[in-house]
Amino acid sequence: MTAARYVINEIKGYHRFIKFLIFLVVASALASLVRFVFGLGATTNLNDTYPWGLWISFDVVTAVPLAAGAFTLGAIVHCFHIKKLEPLVRPAIVTGFLGYSLVCVGLLLDLGQPQRGWHVLRYWNLHSPMFEVSMCVMAYTTVLFLEFLSPVCEKFGFYLPLRVLRWLEMPLVIAAAAISTLHQSSLGTFFLIAVDKLHNLWYTPVLPLLFWMSAICAGLSIIILEATASHKWMGQPNEGVLLKTLAKILPWALGAYLCVRIGSLVFLSQGPYFDSPALLILFAIEVGIGFVLPLIMLMQSRIRNSDSRRATAAGLVVFGLVLNRFNVSMFGMMHGDKIYFPSFIESVVTIGIIAAHVLFFVLLAKYFPIFEHHPETVDYSLPDRFQKVGAVGARH
Amino acid sequence: MSTQKNPNDGNVFLIDMTKCTGCRGCQVACKQWNQLEAEKTEFFSGEGYQNPPAMSDKTFTRIKFRDYQKNGQNEFAFYKEMCMHCNEPACASVCPVGAFHKTEEGPVIYNADRCIGCRFCMIACPFGVPKYEWSKAFPLVKKCTGCYSRIKAGMKPACATACPTAISYGPRHEMIKEAERRLTMYPDRYLKTVYGKEEAGGTSVMYLTALPFDELGFKKVTLRPLPGYTWQALRLVPSVFLTVGGGLSALSWINHRKERLSRLRDEEAENTETKEDK
Ligand code: SF4
Ligand code: SF4
Ligand code: SF4
Repeated sequence: MTAARYVINEIKGYHRFIKFLIFLVVASALASLVRFVFGLGATTNLNDTYPWGLWISFDVVTAVPLAAGAFTLGAIVHCFHIKKLEPLVRPAIVTGFLGYSLVCVGLLLDLGQPQRGWHVLRYWNLHSPMFEVSMCVMAYTTVLFLEFLSPVCEKFGFYLPLRVLRWLEMPLVIAAAAISTLHQSSLGTFFLIAVDKLHNLWYTPVLPLLFWMSAICAGLSIIILEATASHKWMGQPNEGVLLKTLAKILPWALGAYLCVRIGSLVFLSQGPYFDSPALLILFAIEVGIGFVLPLIMLMQSRIRNSDSRRATAAGLVVFGLVLNRFNVSMFGMMHGDKIYFPSFIESVVTIGIIAAHVLFFVLLAKYFPIFEHHPETVDYSLPDRFQKVGAVGARH
Repeated sequence: MSTQKNPNDGNVFLIDMTKCTGCRGCQVACKQWNQLEAEKTEFFSGEGYQNPPAMSDKTFTRIKFRDYQKNGQNEFAFYKEMCMHCNEPACASVCPVGAFHKTEEGPVIYNADRCIGCRFCMIACPFGVPKYEWSKAFPLVKKCTGCYSRIKAGMKPACATACPTAISYGPRHEMIKEAERRLTMYPDRYLKTVYGKEEAGGTSVMYLTALPFDELGFKKVTLRPLPGYTWQALRLVPSVFLTVGGGLSALSWINHRKERLSRLRDEEAENTETKEDK
């Protein structure tokens, strides 16, 4: 009783924005219940022509690259050894962990037989990109969970697990990067089977490579956005100096991506590009505003050094990535007069998933040491009562 | 995935659309044999006289109608839509749980107990065949079974049995020979190709027609087997994993070593300094 009252009082004290987020999450949970009672046909606008809709296009195909910051930054900090960026790692890992958990939620809603999700573990089909992605997402969510345990252990003063996690840090970072490379690119492989369905503006045999490279760009941009936002609205320290370094890496990634993208259009794709004006406009907006413009912006130190303009450029990259994933998985697959448009329930669920992400992030940052993390200050040594265990461990 | 040694040994449909009278006996036979519910439809809905307007979870095969003019006369052309039972089926290659497989006898069959309902097969199939039970809370995929149970029992598929004129059923190499015989015997009657001989890497349903295929509503598909399109990327998975993992491990080892060495050097420098001080 007292615990419940404590929780209620705690929630009453929250900012209005957080209460609004809680409302959105609850609404989306109710909407997803409706899906299970009345079926996919009644609650979504999916049909036999468009079997994949908003839930696949956003909750899976877009949300996964948006959560790519964790592995990108982990590799930059620990493998390329740009240590000063380390304070950004932990928020990125928390974002990644939340992102992937919510991808799993979205996927389960979309499956016709969610209770059989585990079948993927039992009946392997190595030829299926979906099998590959599912395995990787499960493995990577586990890795992120382990990485995410560090702040939790710090908060509660669990020294022994903290030591183990510290020891696992490097293997986890490398596993994260390798697994992410695989599934980020395999999401692109999904659409390689859609020959004659996906429009030539996007269909190219190097789609997996493009998906991986754009995920890196988006991951870096999300970190910039997130750190800027949490400085502005959550009273967290200003990491502008570190973000400047990231903003210096980002144009290289964007430039490389655009080279491969344009190269593949010129050399690899077949068939007409200009047969559908609507798709051409989408393509132009995506590449022009989403990738070329931020590249030009970030090449100027004037923009890299300004917090707000840097964040604008990063926001454009995120916009470009989202539009790209929608173009590939939704718009580019539409033909003729039949058009798919998400239903009310589909939209409510997706909005709720985004709200859940922000909400959990804010709450975690409130209760766990996520931003205050400066690795040199954490005490990894064992307190006296653990000396014995430590000694046993040392003898092995 | 494919248990078939030689696709030419499996049984295939040879459907001669010039002989089809549009009686839709196959549609009825399919409904009956598979115990499929009726669908409420309207006459003159959709493109022609066809009914129902599209294949669905309750309609595995359907005759499409098309009227055209020949020598100033109105004529009908027909097209029987059904699963093509590809030799290398895209639906089977993309399914994460391997719910589809190509049988030795020819049909591509679906194991409903495995399916998780992700609908990737529907995205992948170049002919738009697998359909979903949209009205159910826990839907499964439905498509023409090739009447596998009848084949196992030594019978022909229900639609092939019911058809009075147009459908022949037999081993692939024989059916190809028969199709080519007809093409040379009656060159004026047919378009000079066998649809399905090479489409999507070859299928177990082949058509002869008088009108161009696309005019009848046949999908234009690649001649390359579809699973190859994804496999050319997926086969790189192990090497990419090892390259990225190994590369990053090596990189971090080098960088850590560099750091350790520079720290040692600093310490030594400090030590010598302190000695010199003494
Ligand atoms: S036509 Fe489609 S459903 Fe039928 S076997 Fe080929 S890929 Fe599978
Ligand atoms: S819907 Fe079922 S049969 Fe189709 S790909 Fe998914 S799991 Fe396989
Ligand atoms: S083979 Fe059987 S399931 Fe397929 S269309 Fe013919 S009757 Fe229907």
